[in-house]
Order: sequence, then structure tokens, then C-alpha cells
Amino acid sequence: MKRRAFIRDVAVGGLALRWAPGLLAGQAAPALPHLGVAEGASPYAITKEAVAAIGGMSRFVARGDKVVVKPNIGWDRTPEMAACTNPEVVKALVELAQEAGAKSVIVIDNTTNQARRCYIRSGIQEAVKQAGGTMLFVDEHRVKKMSLGGEWLKEWDIVLDVIEADKIINVPIAKHHSLCRVTLGMKNWLGGISGARNQLHQRIDEAVVDLAAFFKPALTVLDAYRILVRNGPQGGRISDTELRETVVAGVDAAAVDAMGASFFELAPQDVPYLRMARERGLGRIDLEGLNIDKRKI
Amino acid sequence: MASQAGFFALFLYLLIGARYTGEDYIGSTVQRFFHFDPLLALVTIVSARVLVASFAFALVTVVATVLLGRVFCGWVCPLGSVHQFASFAFKRTKFLRPPKEESASLAWKYFILFAVLAGALLGLNLAGYLDPFSFLARSLSTAVFPILAQGLSSLNGVIYGLGLVSVGRSVSHFLENWSLNATFVQGFAIGLMFLGALALNARKERFWCRYLCPAGALLGLLSRVNLFKLRIDPGKCIECGLCTQHCQTQAQPFPNDKWKSGECVYCETCAAICPTAAIGFPAGAAAEKTTNVSNVDLSRRKVLLSTFLGLFAVPFFRLTPFRDRASPKLIRPPGSLAEAGFLAKCVKCGQCMRACPTNGLQPALAEAGPEGLWTPVLVPKIGYCEYYCSLCTQVCPTGAIKELTIEEKGEVKIGTAWVRKERCIPYVLGKPCIVCEEHCPVSPKAIKLVDVEAHLADGRVVVQKGPVVDIELCIGCGICENKCPVMDDPAIFVTSVGETRSEKNRLLLELLPGTPDDASR
Repeated sequence: MKRRAFIRDVAVGGLALRWAPGLLAGQAAPALPHLGVAEGASPYAITKEAVAAIGGMSRFVARGDKVVVKPNIGWDRTPEMAACTNPEVVKALVELAQEAGAKSVIVIDNTTNQARRCYIRSGIQEAVKQAGGTMLFVDEHRVKKMSLGGEWLKEWDIVLDVIEADKIINVPIAKHHSLCRVTLGMKNWLGGISGARNQLHQRIDEAVVDLAAFFKPALTVLDAYRILVRNGPQGGRISDTELRETVVAGVDAAAVDAMGASFFELAPQDVPYLRMARERGLGRIDLEGLNIDKRKI
Repeated sequence: MASQAGFFALFLYLLIGARYTGEDYIGSTVQRFFHFDPLLALVTIVSARVLVASFAFALVTVVATVLLGRVFCGWVCPLGSVHQFASFAFKRTKFLRPPKEESASLAWKYFILFAVLAGALLGLNLAGYLDPFSFLARSLSTAVFPILAQGLSSLNGVIYGLGLVSVGRSVSHFLENWSLNATFVQGFAIGLMFLGALALNARKERFWCRYLCPAGALLGLLSRVNLFKLRIDPGKCIECGLCTQHCQTQAQPFPNDKWKSGECVYCETCAAICPTAAIGFPAGAAAEKTTNVSNVDLSRRKVLLSTFLGLFAVPFFRLTPFRDRASPKLIRPPGSLAEAGFLAKCVKCGQCMRACPTNGLQPALAEAGPEGLWTPVLVPKIGYCEYYCSLCTQVCPTGAIKELTIEEKGEVKIGTAWVRKERCIPYVLGKPCIVCEEHCPVSPKAIKLVDVEAHLADGRVVVQKGPVVDIELCIGCGICENKCPVMDDPAIFVTSVGETRSEKNRLLLELLPGTPDDASR
């Protein structure tokens, strides 16, 4: 945050407290839910609804922010294959970020298949263009080996265009994965790095947790509109997918993923990286204990 | 001149267009140029013994040449333009000082042509080595574009270093969007040949066109009528000899009766350089008795000898054990004809390599024998065959790669993947990996995971999920090999066995359609 903005915010906050001391006492503003879950036939509408349920985008994006939206665009697959994040979900988030006053909204992923094919066939390039965001390819000139401070992953090649942002929004899709069991939000950060990513599979759960701790998104929005239940993480047939018509939004990345695991009839503690995330204090995975605002539209 | 610049620009534009544009079907691109080339048409049709409809366009060139002479060489051919420009540069820099009179024999290109045609009679397609379109497309695709792109990319490092992020991004996006980020194993060698061909212009103006080009030779033989004939006005001519000295193709405008119409490419340099404007090309309806090809010394013995050499070239170019038994590394693009038919048609233009989005298609060196030099081969370690892509099949000018829809392509098997257990991480190190399985694009996956025991060096036995290939599902795309974390020599690799196009290179008879398997017998 810039110094000027900080002074302004302190001044505004101070004035607000002067006239409405109840704000801090927590009476005027009811506690926001941990997770916003919206169900419905339109992926676009339920995305906006899920974000609204946890306080709206203005809670996360301030005027003038540089926002990066990180979907999963890993594969050269169309949306009905559920291998990449639903383009309508991405579109809704780009729009919300812009409405909240973002200076720029960049959408980027380090894809597995050829980047351009993935961007186009996933429908995300077109959706982002319509919403007025910018899509960037991962540029090897803009990759830097950085210290991650992870427990296992000490340093790795990081895509600078992902982290050089005021706010990062993670937009994974819920998919089957034969090593991690499920790939959700935390695993999505393998698309924010470069280098020999395939070697991380040898200790994938530790890597996932270390990366999730490093990237620290302001918001995680999980696309479970159509989930991939077998042949993950890229499927290939519509019969590999299941329609769930759900979007989950939350600040706590572990909690969002815990909710995501439930779509696969998995208890969160049965997903190793979620268990590790909880042990590391990255978030909560006790779904019963969470305040979840579930909406249907 | 404008026409040459225009055609060169068109060629370049169409060749750059042979890439993933964002559309699955990119429509006709640069291969149309090739369809106007009578040499490629003739050699391909003769060597493959099949009429290729698209080559009907070559008749346009044939008719134009019969009536007008080698205007194709002087006005259209993009490689001719490159040579002309190089010659111009060498003349300007005085590297090239054309002599008053040139006596070098023009016959070589005709002998090359006869050898190529003789080879075609026996099914050997040699056109691709020296055909101007093949030569230029191959050189640009595998050498010139990559050189420029790498240079630009290095420059981009500097641009980013200066903090000009948005400029750097534009450059990177340009390279990505125009599919220029490709390198080829033989790019250096092919680039050297291209530079060599350019350098020859320092010796003789348009060296290639004068002495080497078999397509030019064919057009020279075809130029019979030449409606517009060179005429020197004897009243104006001061016999300075400038026209002959600066004739690009050694067609000898002066003296008038020595003019070789079969060598003239109608560049009209002579008319332009003539100090007294004595030279013109008036329409002369009468056909010549013989074209002045006869002024080029094509003795019967030499013609016979070059034809013989062409026939001799057939077994020579086929000196490889892999004609009888498939080469494991010879993974052809999907839609490729069976090897003999493929080699008869492929003209080594490299457009499939240009179009390949993963850079996996590479010019062959020895995989297909000498005959198959520079023909396309998939090298999975460099790039894999993208599942929803059939671009290489769409740009092939001769049909060596049959055009396929993406659905059809999905049915084609180009090879089979094999797990090398002694290098595979779960099998050897007892650590999880599954990278190959994760990337396998077919559904259900051709790579299955099974529990495997790893006997570690410390005596422990670890059970881990390891890959096993279901060869009936595997299409040989090679993404498993490409993404395998064992970097130097991947623990899973693809060989050509089981490829749809071959009846011989098979693995199991059960895979033949209609063959009852053992169990049901």
C-alpha cells in the first residue's frame, strides 16, 4: 500500500470510528461467513453470488489495485471437459475486480499444453477479453528463482507476472488427480511457477503446501460448476465430468479446498496436503466448524 | 522490382501463416505456392505415380512459360528474388564484379534436372533438395525464423533488464503469437546451406538460378514461343556490352542473335542499363525454330550421363537398412502415408515443422535413410504431438501427409510408448511421480498406474504407483516422454512400432481390424 493511501485510509477510518464506534464492537457489521457457496445454472451468476456472500469484491480489491487472476488453464481442452476453469467464472471475477476499482486485471497461467492453445480452447482468452482484462503468457524472461521459505521447497522459479500484484485471486477448478487425489486451489499454484515442475511430484503434497503458503491469495474462488471426477487432471470425455453447478469463495484457501474435497466424497483430512496445511496453520479444514453461507439462485 | 517484392512478401506472409492461428483449421496457406511449381508437380506425380489434383495450378506456370518464357523466375520466384537481392548487395559492395563476358557453362542445372527426373521415374523424389520453394521454405522455417526469434528474444532480455516491461511483453507475445519460438536440430546445417547459396552470389550473379536450379531448368526447356523477344535496335546500339555484362542470368542479350531465350528471366536489366535505350522486348509472333536452350551446350552424352546418374542415385539414396525394417525413432506426423509413399511425395519443404505448435516435428537426419533427409520426424523429447491439432496435415503441399480433421487424427496411432523401468522414478527410487499418466491425453488413459515394488539401495522395499502402458489405447503422441522428469533420457519413450500407417511395423496381430484374437478361436 502506498504511504499516501495509508494516511488517507487511517484518516477515513479514524473519522468513521469517531462517528460510529459500534463498527469495531462488531455489532453493526455481522461477522462474515468463512465460505460463500452459490449453486445455480449460470456459472457467471453463481460466481458473483459466492463472492457477494463473503462480503463482495470490494472487501478484497481496493481502488487502483493491480490484480492478478490465476485460473487453471493447464490443458488444451474445451470447458465441457472440465480440465480448465470455467471461462464464465473467470469473466465474472475480472468484472468484479474492475468494478471494485482495480487499475489492471491480469489473467495468467503456466500451462501444460501449448499456452496459446490452452488460452483459446478453454474459452478463457475470449472471456477475459470481453470482460476487459489482460491475458499474459508466461515469459521465461519474467521468471525468477526466489526463496519460498517453505518447509521442503526452499526456492523455486516463480512467475513474476503472477506475484507482482497488489492482490492475487486464485480461481482453480475442482478435478480428480491420481497423485493428490484432488486438485483444487492450493495445487493450482503449480501454474504460478516455472522450472522443472514435474519433479515436484516426488513430494507433491509438501510442494503444494509450501507454494500455497508462498502465494497467499487474497481470495480463492473454486469452480465446481462442472468437476472432473476421473481421468484427471485433464479428462477427455464429458463422461469423465459431473455437473455440480457450484462455486465456492473464501479467504481461507484451505477451507475452500476442504469444501472442494467434499464434492469428491473425500473427507478433507484424507487429502494429505490439506492435512498438512492445517498442521502448518494455513487454514481450517473442519467444515462442520465453519460458517458457510450457502445460496441457491 | 515490385512484382518480386510482392511475391516474396506474399510467400513470407503465407509461410508465417502456417501456424496455430487460434483456429483449428487454418485454411490454405503457403502450400498453394508449391502447387504452381511445375518441377514439384512433375516429380511428385511421377515418383508417387498418382495425380495430385492441386498440382493442376502448375499448368498455369507451364502455359505462361511456353508463351512468355521464364517470367516465373524473374517476376515470381521468391528464392530468385532473394538471390537477386543478394547479388545486388554483392555488386554494390564490389564483392562481385561481373566480367565483360561470362563463359561458365549454364548446363549444370539441366543435368541436375535430368538426374532428378530420372530418379523420379524409379520413385525417388529428389526435387526437395534444390527446388526453390522447398529450399526457401525449409531454410526460413528451420533456420532463418529461429535465428531472428532467438536474436529478438535475447534482445528482449536486455529490454526487460532496462525495466521496459510492457515493451518486453509485446515482443514476447509477438514471438508466441506468430509461433516463432522454435528451434530445429538441423537448423544450423540448413542455415549454413542457405547462407552458402546466398554467398555463391558473390561469385556469379544469381548463381543458383543460372547453374543450379532444376525448376529454372525445367522452365528453360519449356520456354518455346517467347512472345516477347529481345530486340536490339542496331541503329542505337553502341556495342558497349553493358547489357551482357550485367545480365542477371547470363542470357547474353548482345549480340542479339546470341540471346538465350531459355535463360532470360525477363528482368529487363539489360533494357534498363542500356545507355542508348536500344533494347526492347517487342511482341514477335513467330515461334523460334529452336529455343536457344540449344545455345547451352547440352551434349547428348552429358544428358545421358546425368540421366544415368539419376538412376544410379536411386539405390544410392536408399542405402539404409531401415527400408526393410522400421526405424524405431522414425515417428512420422499423423496422416503420413506408408513410408515408401511418403518418401515418394515428401518434398522436404518443412512446412509441417513450421506448423507444429510444440516444435516436435524436426528435420530427419538419418532416421529415414539418405532419401528421407529433412523429412519430418517427431522427436518427443523436443515436442509432442498435440492431441487436438492436425495443422501439419493441413499444410503439406503434396499429400505426403494426408489431410485429417482433428477427429480423424485422434484415431491415428503414430507410435507406442514404452516404460523404461530401470530409469523410472517409482520403479527405481520408490518415489511418487505419475507425471506421464497425468499428461496422457486419451480417455481412458493409455498409461495406467499399478503398485510397483522398488528395491532401494539401502535394502528397503517400497511400494509405489508406477506407470504401465496400455498399448491399445496409446496413440504415440509422446507427451509422456516430453514431460517425464528424467530429463536426459526419459524413463518413458515412444517408438514407431504400431503406427497406423504401416502394415509391417506392427506389434500384435490382434490389433489388426477383423482378426479374431486367440481367446475366441
